[in-house]
Amino acid sequence: MGWRDAWRLSHAPLTEVSFQAIYAFRQGNLLPPGPARSLAPRAERRTALSKALVALVLATLALGASLLLRVGAARSPTLAAYALPPAALDAGILTGLFSLDVALLWWTGLQVLPTFLASGALPVLETLPIDATTYRRTAAIVYLRLFDIPALAVVVATPVFVGLALGPLAGLATIPGAVAAVVFALALSFLTGRFFVRKIQGSRGGGGRTVVRWAHLLLWLVPAVAVLGFVSAGPVFFTLLGRAVAPGTPAILESFEAAFPFPLALIPALVATGASGIPLAAPEAFELVVASTGYVLLAVYAAAWLLASVPATTQIPPATPRPGPAPRSELRPQVPALAVLTKDLRTASRTPGYAFLILLPILDSVAIGLVTVAEAPSHAASQNLALAAVVAAALLATFFGPAFFSIEVLGFSYGRALPLADRSVLLGKASLVVSVYLLAGLIVLGITLVRVPAPATFVAFVAAELPAIVAAAFLELGILFRWARTRGVPVPNLYAGAWSALLVSLPGLAVAAAPLVVYGSHGLLAMAAVSLGELAVGAPLTLRRRGT
Amino acid sequence: MEAERPADATLPLSIERLTVDYGERRAVDGLTLAIRPGEIYGLLGSNGAGKSSTIRSVVGLVRPRSGRIRVFGFDTAVDGMRAKERIGYVPETSLLYEALTPREFLEFVAGVRRLDPAGASERMRAYAQAFRLESELEEPIASLSSGTRQKVLILAAFLHTPHLLVLDEPLNALDPRSVRIVKDLLVRYAASEGRAVLFSTHMMEVAEELCHRIGILDRGVLRAEGTLAELRARAAHGDATLEEVFLRLTREDEGLPAAVALLEGS
Repeated sequence: MGWRDAWRLSHAPLTEVSFQAIYAFRQGNLLPPGPARSLAPRAERRTALSKALVALVLATLALGASLLLRVGAARSPTLAAYALPPAALDAGILTGLFSLDVALLWWTGLQVLPTFLASGALPVLETLPIDATTYRRTAAIVYLRLFDIPALAVVVATPVFVGLALGPLAGLATIPGAVAAVVFALALSFLTGRFFVRKIQGSRGGGGRTVVRWAHLLLWLVPAVAVLGFVSAGPVFFTLLGRAVAPGTPAILESFEAAFPFPLALIPALVATGASGIPLAAPEAFELVVASTGYVLLAVYAAAWLLASVPATTQIPPATPRPGPAPRSELRPQVPALAVLTKDLRTASRTPGYAFLILLPILDSVAIGLVTVAEAPSHAASQNLALAAVVAAALLATFFGPAFFSIEVLGFSYGRALPLADRSVLLGKASLVVSVYLLAGLIVLGITLVRVPAPATFVAFVAAELPAIVAAAFLELGILFRWARTRGVPVPNLYAGAWSALLVSLPGLAVAAAPLVVYGSHGLLAMAAVSLGELAVGAPLTLRRRGT
Repeated sequence: MEAERPADATLPLSIERLTVDYGERRAVDGLTLAIRPGEIYGLLGSNGAGKSSTIRSVVGLVRPRSGRIRVFGFDTAVDGMRAKERIGYVPETSLLYEALTPREFLEFVAGVRRLDPAGASERMRAYAQAFRLESELEEPIASLSSGTRQKVLILAAFLHTPHLLVLDEPLNALDPRSVRIVKDLLVRYAASEGRAVLFSTHMMEVAEELCHRIGILDRGVLRAEGTLAELRARAAHGDATLEEVFLRLTREDEGLPAAVALLEGS
């Protein structure tokens, strides 16, 4: 059997991964209404749609980068302010693009990998008379095809858009950087995803281990924080780049130029501007050549490693009971809403996709809080940054409803067999959303007390937004309960249900954003009034029909 | 909303004209049956006969197209919460919160059922010891074998000492020792005051050994119901095993020798 057979064999496992991702039958979901024969094609369509959405974001990033390249320092006072040589500026922009490509693909991979491993789609092939080489090839193809549309978007859109901005040759010169970005992202996804599946999903219970799990989960956030960090730290990056390329730079700053993906981003920039585009001393040029060659070789190695590693890890290894201290032998039941909240936190501590949602706004608040302390020049600026952090936490919180509801879908059958009132589920989930929002606000308050010693306005702002957050959570969960009862809910991971999650999140986003908009035009009192009004209308409507 | 409990409040389970559809496919067609206090009722049927659909309707996982189900008088469509409070359920497949450990899962179930911590802990310890689960109480459920998961589900079903046990193929994947324990448990459980058991199985010898009455489902329809003696009489097969009775009543024995011959020739 050859590569063609491996390609043919990859169809069934891929369909199975899509099928499990969308319908989660193994987790207890029931057949949705409609003809059963249409389920697999529907799952494939939804998966393709979700991948297309990720690809669209990546292509839009490439388009945005090409527009920045086109505008350049000549027509943008902001870019001109960095006083960078033309090639350094172009390379800086492309560095941003490649970094975002890696981070987004990596993050996508982290969401997909647990489903891929849990689906058991590839081990089924091992029971068939397929030779080892064909099996390895099939496994590798299945893994690569999980990323096909987004990866193609990076490899195709980058040269096309950069080519339109800087010329066709420069566009072609982006290919090594774009391909390396994709390969590194896929390898990082697999490496970290496998680590987390083993170390976090397989972690035993107990207080101390929970802390270790959450610490591991912080690492999970690296790619997402990288996206956020690059966007917010862009100006700092260009300033550092300016210092690095300036003559007489200390060695430590010069090594900044050798970091991935700058050397590969510099190739198209030099193709466009010529050698005069950036003043490089001979050792510096040598270092960049070595670095770019090294990254290309590393990408080749990463691709080979990936092809060898994926077939060897196609399912979560079964755990055997480990000897250890005697387990806790008491149960400490809580009231139903609190039991739901505790269950969700425990689930999140072993499910990076959920932990991500809890940790992101919290880390975002830490990051913005630190920037406020370090950078904000005045009391007013600090205050505005602190408020911006709360706004971010509030808006991010609106995406929690659909995600946390999906935990219920994972154990859907059993959960529905219990005498668990919808009201308890709703209150438990809303409490989680509110807790994350308040924790994020508290962190910002704690960090920025140095700069904003009179925090009354800040506290009032957090409090005024709180009812709207609760109302948004109620609204989203209310919609989801309705869907769950009438047509079943798919598991909203990035590939599976991004579209559904968006449809639920948008109304929630509107409810959470309305008081923030009012604050801008009418002040704090009006904001509080709108927020309370939303809760007063939304809560009775949602809770009234949810049992006791 | 709590409906007024009707006169048959002591009847553990009554099902009237239950019909369940999945899209275009009819899984259960006008099923009517009742389970009396102290009774172990076995549902037998071929694959796709409607056993699991019936059970899922009883525990509230499937919304029937029509019909009425009452658990100790509570209509599951109107007062499902009260009905679920009285039911202990073991599903056919190990549907659990995979990210939790068995102890965390049982803690959640105990919380939802508002159980007394001391009593629930005592029951957990006793069942864990009986099923030799102690060393796995802190392992994530995702990492457990299917037999161990089944034990966790059985433990969860018994945690609140339910009035009606509803078990869908409960002995699947269990080791012989655990099978023996479950069978003894069911007999003792049904004998205690006012309780009853509904369970589905493919294992004819288990049904023969445990069940007071047996219902034979075939393509969603209840073909026959009664004690083993009554079913034998119905099948006009005086000393037959339950398997023979089942095959005859469902007409699954027709063409059986030809099917075996076909395989021998292949």
